[in-house]
Amino acid sequence: MEIMGADLVKACACLGAGISMGLGAIGPGVGEGFAAGKACEAIGRNPQEAGLLTRTMLVGQAVSESTGIYSLVISLLLLFVV
Amino acid sequence: MEELGRIHQLIIPFFGHNLTFNLEVIIMTWIVISILLLFGFLASSKKSIIPGPLQVVGELLVAQLFALSKDALGEDLGKKYAPLICALFMFLVLSNWIGIVPHMHEPTKDLNTPLSLGLLGFFISHYLGIKTKGMKAYLKAYIDPFFFMMPLNVIGELAKVVSISFRLFGNIMGGSIIILVISYLVYSLILPPFLNAFFGVFVGAIQAFVFTMLTLVYIAVQVK
Repeated sequence: MEIMGADLVKACACLGAGISMGLGAIGPGVGEGFAAGKACEAIGRNPQEAGLLTRTMLVGQAVSESTGIYSLVISLLLLFVV
Repeated sequence: MEELGRIHQLIIPFFGHNLTFNLEVIIMTWIVISILLLFGFLASSKKSIIPGPLQVVGELLVAQLFALSKDALGEDLGKKYAPLICALFMFLVLSNWIGIVPHMHEPTKDLNTPLSLGLLGFFISHYLGIKTKGMKAYLKAYIDPFFFMMPLNVIGELAKVVSISFRLFGNIMGGSIIILVISYLVYSLILPPFLNAFFGVFVGAIQAFVFTMLTLVYIAVQVK
């Protein structure tokens, strides 16, 4: 059974989707953890502002998540379109 | 699992072109719109000093979002554009939450909805920028540090639309795919309610809030 060109393309697309998602998840993971840690420090220093800090932290995390979301979109494209 | 990449489409030939309608998205969008209209009608029909439960929810949402937009845009513009912000937030929250109901799909799971809402924010912000600052000051913002930075500024403006719409689309689509895959793996036994609570309710509300805030911030950047 020889490997056809289309099979090779499909296999490479699946591999690329996995690599894209895995590498793209590193940055947002580190960044969001850093943001959460800093927010914890700030809440410990200033507990009565906890609501505002939590809201700001969540919005900032959702924005910094976007690079991970881009890699998710790329891997979805690779899986379903290629 | 085989329903993962499938979309129901209605394709109508029209003078040599094919018009494609994503039927599910259109129906779900109209369901969301009618629920919102019903909510608005019920919340404001019996206004009283001692508010009913729906009126309390409506007053809470409207007061919070008016305060947000007044903070960002100033008193006059904030009051003028707060209804837009309210409508955007309520529509996005309801469309992200409607996926919790079985056999319902989020309209934001299709890229068309977030992209059109992002383009709406883009055009409104640039129209307001031209209207409040004048054409000369608006164009001057593009050659801000010096002339050769113009391509970067233009690409930066266009990237805002792409980033804001792909963020919402990716979050909702990724969440629904994760729910589908994990429900398939555990034979829909224990985990799906918790997954729906996290990806549907929590992430949906946060992404709707982020989308609304970013639209507001883009408008505020153009106005100042």
